[in-house]
Amino acid sequence: MKRILLSILGVLAVAMALLTPAFAQSKGKVYYLVPTLLDEFQTGSVSALETFLKQVGYELQTLNADNKTDVQQSQMNDVIALKPAAIILAAVDFNALQPSIEAAMGAGIPVVEFDRQITSTKSAFTSVAGTIEIGHIAADEAEKLLTAKNGSPKGKVLQILGDPGDPYTLDIQKGFEEKMAAFPDVKIISLPAMQWEASNAGTIAADQLVANPDIDLIFSHAAHLSVAVVAALEAAGKQPGDIMLMSSNGAPVGLDLIRKGWLNVEVEQPLYAQAAAVAAFMDKIVAKAEIKPGEYDIIGLNGVVTDEAWGPNIKLPGAAIDKSNVDDPKFWGNLKPPTDTVKSIE
Amino acid sequence: MTPRTRRILEFVLDNLVWFMLLVVLAAFSAFVPNYFQPGIFANIIEASSVLGVMSIGLALVIIAGHMDLSVESVAALSAMAVGIVFCTSGIGLGVTFTPEWLAVPVSLVLSLAVGAAVGLFNGILIVKVKMNAFIVTLASYIWVRGIVLAVSGGASAQGLAPVIRWFAIQRLLGLPLTAWIAIACFVVFSFIMAKTKFGRHLVMIGGNQNATYRAGIKVDRILITAFALAGGIAALAGWLLAIRTSGATANLGTGLLFNAFAAVVIGGVSLKGGLGALPGVYAGALLLSSINTAINLMGLPPTSTQVIHGLLVLAAVLLDTFKQTLRQRLA
Repeated sequence: MKRILLSILGVLAVAMALLTPAFAQSKGKVYYLVPTLLDEFQTGSVSALETFLKQVGYELQTLNADNKTDVQQSQMNDVIALKPAAIILAAVDFNALQPSIEAAMGAGIPVVEFDRQITSTKSAFTSVAGTIEIGHIAADEAEKLLTAKNGSPKGKVLQILGDPGDPYTLDIQKGFEEKMAAFPDVKIISLPAMQWEASNAGTIAADQLVANPDIDLIFSHAAHLSVAVVAALEAAGKQPGDIMLMSSNGAPVGLDLIRKGWLNVEVEQPLYAQAAAVAAFMDKIVAKAEIKPGEYDIIGLNGVVTDEAWGPNIKLPGAAIDKSNVDDPKFWGNLKPPTDTVKSIE
Repeated sequence: MTPRTRRILEFVLDNLVWFMLLVVLAAFSAFVPNYFQPGIFANIIEASSVLGVMSIGLALVIIAGHMDLSVESVAALSAMAVGIVFCTSGIGLGVTFTPEWLAVPVSLVLSLAVGAAVGLFNGILIVKVKMNAFIVTLASYIWVRGIVLAVSGGASAQGLAPVIRWFAIQRLLGLPLTAWIAIACFVVFSFIMAKTKFGRHLVMIGGNQNATYRAGIKVDRILITAFALAGGIAALAGWLLAIRTSGATANLGTGLLFNAFAAVVIGGVSLKGGLGALPGVYAGALLLSSINTAINLMGLPPTSTQVIHGLLVLAAVLLDTFKQTLRQRLA
């Protein structure tokens, strides 16, 4: 019995010895608190951050909050106790995480805001396309589509939001509607697909097509909602192009729908560039060094760093994807990560 | 009270949910713009097909005196299984058969097998290992959804094979075939509950499990069958959901569990077990779908819809409670 126990301890000791050199080579462990893994953008962000951070020498550990604010708050508390090199946070609830961010920063752990901009407190770094900006781009495209169809920006738009408790979708709505307010002849009907669930979007589209058969454009706040909308259109006997469709986030399903002729425009969030920016600045973030405002080339995209009240903020431009550029490998929806290695910014 | 009045009152109470449905439809038709249209009514029936089928399985288990919280996750797993095998885009493998129509029975068998397996697992733990149904099925609700997430990696499968999507597009008397499948399920299972030994025994078990056992009825076997059926029927709901949305996402079906419970309770099934009939459950599903459609057409601010939805469902459940009270007074 004693021999068996000693053998097991010996094996464990060897295993630990084999593991520790791997940790010793890494510059440190970074924790990524992702809001949900039920969304392709978020799952894509995990692999993108893992890849790019590894290229600059950091190890990434991801925790999923399953869209629950209290879970993410607990995760922040637990991670603070582990004293990582940095925390990357994509907040479930922008305001509710403020105390947790302040606790981490107060404990000397830099917090990086990823994709979801928190302006109520200071963070070490923020990497966003900007949800309100996504709404603005969508509004620009809606204006173009309506003008092309009706001769001027006029008509009826069905806007299908995500879960109305999610600040992310409310920001896109805000950006979209504040720009569309310039066109009084455009009527916008806004309805939420509860819990971002696709069949809810399909039901909304089916009902609105009967109640408002003169809808010109359907704008869904996520590409996977557009899939269910297309299914509803198909079931109602519509063909690709009968009703204009637009969605935002740039997921692979959206690009597929463009290729099939259903979707006119997909407003992309530059996932790879957002993740690469975090990796490129991670050395400075961990060292708490100054991040100078200016323009930076982030895997071919022009990222603009500004000093904001909430700390250094890099904004990377979203893009409107249509049939003319749908196969461009730079769009994350084509699932072709950049081949160039991300380098730390000196 | 005259015998005739009593008979009328009992008829109304027995079918109260159908009368509620008529009143609600009339009210919405009068006050919600664009509601009173054949297309909207067809949408209501079509939209209730997934919820209705899911509610059948849940009702069977509740009538038997237990509960099954896993039905929503089982539907999601079934939808994802069909999506992964038969979708052509995203994470779909685009499996085809020669002849093409074989994809329909194969996808159905795959769905049902997945659901029945989970249901059987639940049933064995609850009946043989004597674990609490609430805990076991709550755990299943979590781990089955976890499997959906794990196998999909959070990604979607879309572009379901046209031969399977055909059921959502082809219409009969203005309704898609998916709606007719749901109606057929209600007819079949209502017959099973009312006219077969299995159905009668299920009600008896829900009323008094010990007495049923002492009467020599194989309680364990019937209960395990009920859980397996609930899983299989939830999987059928998932199959219909995949057809409806032409694919599957990791969060597909989220929120259906609450609505399934509401449909079952509004439909007159007692949560204590031993009481209830499936036609009422279908009316409950239609009622919830009518409320959902009204909210879609009302033009409310998006942040208010959940409150209104919840209050309307509460009103429907309160009416059912009022019915129970009236029934007791009549008795």
